[in-house]
Amino acid sequence: MTDSQHQTQKLPLLRVEDLTVRLRGEAGIVHAVSDVSFQLQRGQTLGIVGESGSGKSVMARALMGLLPRRATQQLDGRVSLAVDGRVLELLKLSEREFRTLRGPRLAMVFQDPMTALNPVLTLGVQIAEPLQLHLGLNKAQAMARALELLAQVGIPDPEGRLRQYPHQLSGGMRQRVVIAIALACDPRVLLADEPTTALDVTVQRQVLDLLLALQRERQMGMVLITHDLGVVANRADHIAVMYAGRIVEYAPTSRLFSAMRHPYTEALFKSVPRLSDPSHTRLHAIPGRPPQLIDPAPGCAFAPRCPNVQQRCRRETPALTQAGDEHLHACFYPIGSREVGA
Amino acid sequence: MSETSNPQLRARDDIVLKVEHLVVTFDVGRELVQAVSDVSFDIARGETLGLVGESGCGKSTVGRAIMQLPPPKGGKVIFKGQDITRLEGEALRKTRTALQMIFQDPISSLNPRRRVKDIIAEGLQIWERPNQRARVEEVMEAVGLDPETAADRRPHQFSGGQCQRICIARSLALDPDVLICDEPVSALDVSVQAQILNLLEDMKARYQLTMVFVAHNLAVVKHISDRVAVMYLGKLCEIGSVDAVYQHPSHPYTQALLASIPELETSQEDAIPLLQGDIPSPMNPPSGCRFRTRCPKAQAICAQQEPAMQASPSAIDDHFVSCHFPD
Repeated sequence: MTDSQHQTQKLPLLRVEDLTVRLRGEAGIVHAVSDVSFQLQRGQTLGIVGESGSGKSVMARALMGLLPRRATQQLDGRVSLAVDGRVLELLKLSEREFRTLRGPRLAMVFQDPMTALNPVLTLGVQIAEPLQLHLGLNKAQAMARALELLAQVGIPDPEGRLRQYPHQLSGGMRQRVVIAIALACDPRVLLADEPTTALDVTVQRQVLDLLLALQRERQMGMVLITHDLGVVANRADHIAVMYAGRIVEYAPTSRLFSAMRHPYTEALFKSVPRLSDPSHTRLHAIPGRPPQLIDPAPGCAFAPRCPNVQQRCRRETPALTQAGDEHLHACFYPIGSREVGA
Repeated sequence: MSETSNPQLRARDDIVLKVEHLVVTFDVGRELVQAVSDVSFDIARGETLGLVGESGCGKSTVGRAIMQLPPPKGGKVIFKGQDITRLEGEALRKTRTALQMIFQDPISSLNPRRRVKDIIAEGLQIWERPNQRARVEEVMEAVGLDPETAADRRPHQFSGGQCQRICIARSLALDPDVLICDEPVSALDVSVQAQILNLLEDMKARYQLTMVFVAHNLAVVKHISDRVAVMYLGKLCEIGSVDAVYQHPSHPYTQALLASIPELETSQEDAIPLLQGDIPSPMNPPSGCRFRTRCPKAQAICAQQEPAMQASPSAIDDHFVSCHFPD
């Protein structure tokens, strides 16, 4: 490891510690995110994988300061962002302070590119807006920069597109525009929440490749949130698997796939239909369904569906513990441990 | 549009459902969109045909056109030797009992005000079938719902996966021959998706179903299908057995689709060039071959002449492709 890499190891770009979010729902308090911790280095991609209701999107919104204020019952923990040699504590910022960060420091790409864009403004105006607000460019400068950005995200005829409205573009093109807006002020951290889920498979691949190329070129830290292990398998440096609001396993990508320890990670991995399997192969389904996060029962949230469940799992919640270099899991009886029958 | 010949239709005596020259158009303002244009295929008894393609390719429209929802603009849908596009009223409704359908969003497919047992029994009541209660209990048990606890509840008390089980039970109540599944697992979480796919396989065996399985996920389609038809912008590109289409894809579009899938196995570095651009608007499809604007192999002829269905160079039985330069 070189010296400069060592430096960045010490001071991560983004550090999340014990992030906990409780939201007020119609049926009670939703334990949406519980004790989530991770770090993100400059130039790295963290994949966050989870099913619906695992808390991954709420976590992303908490990092962006975009939780619905009136519905937030509790927001605890620490989120530290290192910028310009300073460390900002994001959860302590006022809305006014946060607003100066969104765009130039932190940016987000959402799942649905139609609702993320304003239907009554031209694309040019929407891309230029953050440039004028944050970078102080005048309108002509901002439009010139918007043109460059559209070209960078691979939109043909960017000049003509500047004057068009969102409905005149296909889904894939719209998502490229959303990416252009997110990147307009050169953010240090990019949160991408299911950025390709609404897109067709041939377009998904183009958009993912584009995101990765831009991330490498600009040395951003990227959090790529998805329900599809396949999306992050070849793209993330590290993967965190979330279940019921908690990270249940965290590891470098290759290690996660070669030596997964948490039974949920394995079950999720096995339940995905593969192209390499012959037709009519029986799938490994996980019995039951993900838990409701209102008044969660004590113990491990995966216990009711877990093949390795023991008495202890129903009483205590396992903490995220070290299982080797950069590999963490939250399980009392992880795969490969002695207590579990072979 | 001229009708093409259909070498892909098989001469077998166990064909349950045959679709010939199917055309479906929609009015969009002043214009007409041809959502499905001249599609033909057949399905033998006990087969599952997977229908794949990206959004807007017409795959769901084909599924609905088979059900006569709405009746297609042109072509025939021949079910057990009878062209059902010519049926109307009572005769059509009666035939539909043998053709059932399940949909993508299981929650919105169920009436939220009704109890599960009434939802499942509705078809039985309409057709005044005997032993309704026993039949409802039987299909509920078959799909993994406990009649004791589930029968009197309403859809909102169930998760998406459970609601899809209710939809499957409802579709099976009238003992259909053909089950048309329109993206039945794409709204479900991965862990629940596997349960429903396994269930559909079990139900197919238990009730001797013939299935049409419409989906955009090629891995899912491979798991459940015997034959696969690939569609692009309302046209059939390729059809063949699962092994033929997945091991020896002949159409450049099929190859690109297969190469685009994010796979768990690492290092899938592409031998096949990635597709550029987006799907053109079906309002104004390209001339000749509709895929040519994104095709890495496109030549002048592709813009001039629409390719006809022909036997694939793979030389596998019943493997057909519509391309001027197939592999």
